[in-house]
Amino acid sequence: MRDLTQIALETCSKEGASYADIRIVTITGEDIAIKRGNIESLNLRTTKGFGIRTIADGGLGFAGSYDITTNEIKRVAKLAVRIGKASGATRKKPIEFVDEKAVEDTYKTPFKKDPFSVPTEDKIEILVEADKRMREVNPDVIKMTQSDYRGHREDKIFASTEGAYITQQITFCGGGMACTAISPGTQPQRRSFPGSFRGNFSAEGYEYFESLNLLENVEKTAKEAIALTEAKACPTEKTTLLIDGHQLMLQIHESCGHPTELDRVLGTEAAFAGTSFMTPDLLGKLQYGSEHVNFVADSTSPTGLGTYGYDDEGVKARKVDLIREGLFVGYQSSRETAAIIGLEHSSSGMRADDPQKLPLVRMVNINLEPGDWKRDEIIADTKKGVLMSTNKSWSIDDKRLNFQFGTEIAWEIVNGEIGNIIKSPTYTAITPEFWGSMDAHSKDDWKLLGTPNCGKGQPGQVMYVGHGCGTARFHNIRVGVTKEATDTDGVQ
Amino acid sequence: MEYNKDLLFEKCQVLLKEAAKLGASQAEVRIGLRTTALTRLANSIIDQNVAERHANVRTIVYFGKQKGSTTVEILDDTSLKQAVADAVKVAKISPENKDFKSLPEKQTYDEIPLAELVSKNTINATPELRAEYATLAIDSAHAIDKRITAVAGAISHGLYEEAIQNSLGVEVYGAATGSNVNLTVLAEDGKEQTAGWSSDNRNDFTQLQIKTVAEKAAKKAADGFGMQYVDPGNYEVILEPAAVGGLMFFMSYFGFSAMMYQDYISFLRDKIGEKLFDEKLNLWDDGFDKRLVYRSFYDDEGYPKSKLDMITNGVAMNLAYDTLTADKDDVKSTGHNAKFRGRSMPFPGNLLIGEGNSNLDEMVAETKNGILITHFHYQNAVNPTKGIFTGLTRDGAWFVKDGEIQYPLRTLRYTDSVLRFFANIDLIGKYSDLNDTQAKVPPIKLPSLTISGSQKE
Repeated sequence: MRDLTQIALETCSKEGASYADIRIVTITGEDIAIKRGNIESLNLRTTKGFGIRTIADGGLGFAGSYDITTNEIKRVAKLAVRIGKASGATRKKPIEFVDEKAVEDTYKTPFKKDPFSVPTEDKIEILVEADKRMREVNPDVIKMTQSDYRGHREDKIFASTEGAYITQQITFCGGGMACTAISPGTQPQRRSFPGSFRGNFSAEGYEYFESLNLLENVEKTAKEAIALTEAKACPTEKTTLLIDGHQLMLQIHESCGHPTELDRVLGTEAAFAGTSFMTPDLLGKLQYGSEHVNFVADSTSPTGLGTYGYDDEGVKARKVDLIREGLFVGYQSSRETAAIIGLEHSSSGMRADDPQKLPLVRMVNINLEPGDWKRDEIIADTKKGVLMSTNKSWSIDDKRLNFQFGTEIAWEIVNGEIGNIIKSPTYTAITPEFWGSMDAHSKDDWKLLGTPNCGKGQPGQVMYVGHGCGTARFHNIRVGVTKEATDTDGVQ
Repeated sequence: MEYNKDLLFEKCQVLLKEAAKLGASQAEVRIGLRTTALTRLANSIIDQNVAERHANVRTIVYFGKQKGSTTVEILDDTSLKQAVADAVKVAKISPENKDFKSLPEKQTYDEIPLAELVSKNTINATPELRAEYATLAIDSAHAIDKRITAVAGAISHGLYEEAIQNSLGVEVYGAATGSNVNLTVLAEDGKEQTAGWSSDNRNDFTQLQIKTVAEKAAKKAADGFGMQYVDPGNYEVILEPAAVGGLMFFMSYFGFSAMMYQDYISFLRDKIGEKLFDEKLNLWDDGFDKRLVYRSFYDDEGYPKSKLDMITNGVAMNLAYDTLTADKDDVKSTGHNAKFRGRSMPFPGNLLIGEGNSNLDEMVAETKNGILITHFHYQNAVNPTKGIFTGLTRDGAWFVKDGEIQYPLRTLRYTDSVLRFFANIDLIGKYSDLNDTQAKVPPIKLPSLTISGSQKE
C-alpha cells in the first residue's frame, strides 16, 4: 500500500499540487437487529476505497474512488489537482495550514475481545433472548420489541507530501434494546436501554457489549414502558430540571459540540447545518455557562468514540479546553481553520466517515468534566423538580441557541426524593441561559457515552462521537412544551 | 453515453449463481454505480470541492425464513463470491423472520425511457463548469445588495446506474442523472446578520437556475433587516413550497409507511379511510410523474412502482407497502421499498401535492395576523403517534398583518400536530418555477399553526 500512496502523492506533485494527502481505508461492520422475535437485519459491511486531498493554485481539491489500483489512483490524483485548481480561481487568498509534525506511526484501539472474532451466534443469542424476555414481561401490553448489536472497524492509512505515514485501526461496538407498551385508550410508550436509537457504543472490544448486561435490564425496561402508559403528562411550568447522562449527552452534542466546531463558526456549514453564535470575537469573553461548566474536546479519552491516534489529516490526538469555569475559551479545529483565526495548532478534529469523503471538523469526545456531587446528593438537594432520561426527540436552531428536547421518561422530584413517573417530557431553553443555570454535576455516574449518528456536511456524512457526562441540575427551565401545543391548543 | 447495463447484469448473475450454488432458497442482489461531484461555497469562495466514484453491492440470501446479507464496495468476481459466502454464513445461523413469505416474483415494467432520465450535459459536467456556476452564483447574489457578505451552498451533479435481480426472475436496470443548487446568502449591516435561501433541482445540470436562485436568496437576505419578536401563539401561516416539502417528508415517513403503521408508530394508526385533513388537501406518490425531477419505475427490491393516493380530498387513503409489509397485511406491494441507512422499509419518496389557484401575493393579502415562512430547519418528530412535529424557521420569516408584510422575524419554533394544523387549509397555490425540493408541492396558507417559541434577541 505504501507504494500506492507514493504514486498518488508524486502524481499530485507532478500535476502542480503544493500539498497532497491520501487516505486508503477499509471499513468493516457487523449489524444485527432483532424485531418482535424476527430477524430484521443480519448484515456484514465492507467498504474499501481511497480519497486524495490536494491544494493546487491555493484551492482545495478532493477526489476518491472505490477502485484501489495504480491506474485509478493516478486518474483520481489528477482529478483532485484539477478540482483544486478550479477552486483556487475563486479564492481571495490561498489556503494555509498551521504547522503540525509529520510522523510515521501506528495506532490501534485497545480491546480485550475482538468483536469480529466473537461468533455471530453469541451476539444473536443475547439479542433474541432480550427481545423475547421483554415481550414476556406482559405479552398483552408489550407489543413492539427490538434489540440491536453493531460492530465497526476502520483500517486506514494516511500519507502526505509532508512525509507523514500513519496506519490506524479503530474499533468500536455496542448495542441495546427497546420496547413499546400499548394499552387500550393510551398513547404507545417506548423505553430503551441503555440509550435510545439502538443503544450505546464504546471504542472497546466485545467486553463492552457484554458489560451492558441487556438480559439483567429487561424487566426494568419493560416495566417502565408499561408504567408510562398509565403515567401523568409532563406539567407545563418552569422548574428545576435534572438530566441524566443518556439525555445530557445529546444536550452537550447539540449545544456545545456543534457550536464550537470552527469550520461551522467560519461559515462552511452556513447553507446546511448552520452557523454558530460562538463567534471568534467572543473567544475568552463569552460567559457560556456557570462556573461549574467545564467542557473539553478530547480525542485521547480511553474508550471514546472520538478517540484515535491521529485525525484524518495526520494530527496527533489531543485534549483542548472549550469551556473553562463557564467561560468560552476554545474551538474544535483543523489545520486550515486554526490558521484562519491565528491559532497555533489544530485541535486534531478532522475525520471522514468514508474513504471517499472529505475530512471535516467533527466532534471527538466532547466531555463535561465531572463535578463534585454524587447523583443521589443532587436529587436529595432538590425540593421540587423533574428528572429526565433517554432522548426521544431533538431540535435546535441553526446558530445553536434555541433548542427543544423530548425524553422517553421523567420522574417527579419531591422533597429530595424520586416520585411518580411522568410521560412525554419535553424541555426548551436558550443555550447560554441553560448552561448558566447549571449548579450541580455528578461524578459517581459519569460515563463516556457514544453515539454513531452525527450528521454533517455536503455530501452528507455520519460520524461516531463520544460525550462524557453524569447527571446535572439546571434551574428555571421551561418543561412540558408539547402538552400546551397540542392538548389545549395553547402556546408556550 | 455507454451504459453499464450488461456489466451490471453479468455481475448480478455472478452473485445469484453463487447463492444458488451455496444452497440459498432465494436471493436478491443489487449493484449500483455512482459518480458524483459537489462544489461547496462558503464566504463567497469555493470552500470544498469533491468528486466520488462508488460501486455498491448488496446481497440478500434466504434459507427458508432465515436471512443474511452483505453490503460491499468491491466489484471483482472473487470478492463478489466472498460477499455471497459471507451472507450465506450468517443466514444459516440467523433466527427466522416469521413474517417473510417470499421475495417478489418476476415482474413486468412500464419503463421510463432512459433518454428522459439521463442528461448528457450532466454526465459531461466538469470542475471548471461548476466553478463557473459558482462564480455566477456569487456575483449574482452580491449584485442584489451591498450588504450581502457571504454566499454559501452547494452545486452538485451525479450519474446513477443500478441493476436489481432476484432468484425468482426479477430483473431491472435503471439509470438517471440529477443536479442541484442550494444557496444560503448572508447579509450584514453592522447591527444584524440576515440570511436568505433558495434551491433548484434539475435532471440537466446546465438547466439549473443558478442566477435566479442566487438572486432570490440574496433578496430574502436583503429584506431580512429589522427583525422583530412576536409572542408565541397560534398564527395564520403562509408556507412557501420548501416549508411544505419539509413537512411532507415527515408526514410521509412517519405516517404513511406500512412499517411505521405495523410498528404502532404512525399517527394514522386505525385512521385510514377517515377524513383527517382539509378537503383541499390531495397528496400522492407517483414515480412516473414528469413534473418530478427524480423519478423511478421500480423500488429498491425491483418491484414496479404504482401511483399511491395518500390523501384524497382530506381523506387518509392508503399506506405505502413493500413485499414484506404487504404480505403481513395480506395485500399487494405498492412498490415503495426503500433501503437506506441499514433499514428496509416502505417509504413514499416521489411526493406531489395537488395545486390550487392561489399565489403568495393573494395569501399575504388574505392574512390578518400571520407569518410568511421560507422553510424549516431541524424538524423532528416529538410524538409520531400523535403526529406532533417540531422545527424552526430559517432563512427568512416575516410578520403579516391585515394583508401586508410588516417586518421580518427572528427565529421561531413550531410544535404542533399535522392532524390539527392540516385539518384546515385556507389557500393552496401554484407550483413554483423552481424545483425547490425533491417533492412537487405548492405554497399553502393555513389558518393556524402553533408557534411554541420565539427568539427575543
